[in-house]
Amino acid sequence: MDTWKIGNRTLHSRFFIGTGLFPNPYVQQEAIRASGAEVLTFAIRRINLEQTEDDSILQHIEPEQFQFLPNTSGARTAEEAVRIARLARASGLSDWIKVEISANERTLLPDALETLKATEILVKEGFTVLPYISDDPIMCKRLEEAGAAAVMPGASPIGTGLGILNPYHLGLIVEEAKVPVIVDAGLGTASDVVQAMELGVSGVLMNTPVAKARDPIKMAQAMRVAIEAGRLAYLAGRIPKKKYASASSGLEAFKLS
Amino acid sequence: MELIINGKVQQLEAKTIKDVVEHFGLSSKPIVVEADGVVLVSEQWVDTAVKPGMKIELVHFVGGG
Repeated sequence: MDTWKIGNRTLHSRFFIGTGLFPNPYVQQEAIRASGAEVLTFAIRRINLEQTEDDSILQHIEPEQFQFLPNTSGARTAEEAVRIARLARASGLSDWIKVEISANERTLLPDALETLKATEILVKEGFTVLPYISDDPIMCKRLEEAGAAAVMPGASPIGTGLGILNPYHLGLIVEEAKVPVIVDAGLGTASDVVQAMELGVSGVLMNTPVAKARDPIKMAQAMRVAIEAGRLAYLAGRIPKKKYASASSGLEAFKLS
Repeated sequence: MELIINGKVQQLEAKTIKDVVEHFGLSSKPIVVEADGVVLVSEQWVDTAVKPGMKIELVHFVGGG
């Protein structure tokens, strides 16, 4: 597949895979392998001090093989997101940050104003900022202008698997964007991924639809080939839709009668 | 000394942040420390003194999307 770039990093895969919710570390590792993803997302949480033997997720993952994309999940304000971002960077593992600020527990939809504020601050501090945002073309443009390295509009709310609720908006975002567009959240299965890629987005970020599939390893592979299929179809250029049939054989004059 | 670690009051003998990290057996783990709102990279742990009532956060990467 064609390569692309975020910041200074050239990427060969268009799959960002989340590391939550997998049934066990073995399945997680094999699903990551099957996905071909180069970018892995994580969250930052307090260590459970009563159970420090509890194995860290990083024990099973070779950091040098991947680009880590920690998120600011759990933040409700720009201030909280900036705090989490600074903690994530102090790990020395990555200066990329997915800004994720939810003000509503039920929908987990992003708070656009706080997301913009956090993006502005973190860009100034030298982070590579990838904000998760609603599928709003104007907000995506504002985030790009604030210095976001990519914009990550949601297809539908996190973990719902509802697929792309507003393909028209996603299409507009792609048309307008000068930075990569990554569909983040809400995808459910391979056909959703193909649709996203056909709309011309640069990549997709998924966690739940892989981790919670009956067979996460197989689903990771399905998503990987869906990304390839959708990307190739986008590059190839689909035919326009027509209301009526048009024969594939042509040459009306030579028809048998 | 009384410290507030990850939101809980803890009594422990410690002079520096490094002592706190060692107390919990986390020295070799990829963790990050925040002390009274200041993020500390691991090289700073040994030089950062703890004070009574200090609010310390010990965090790490977990699975997430």
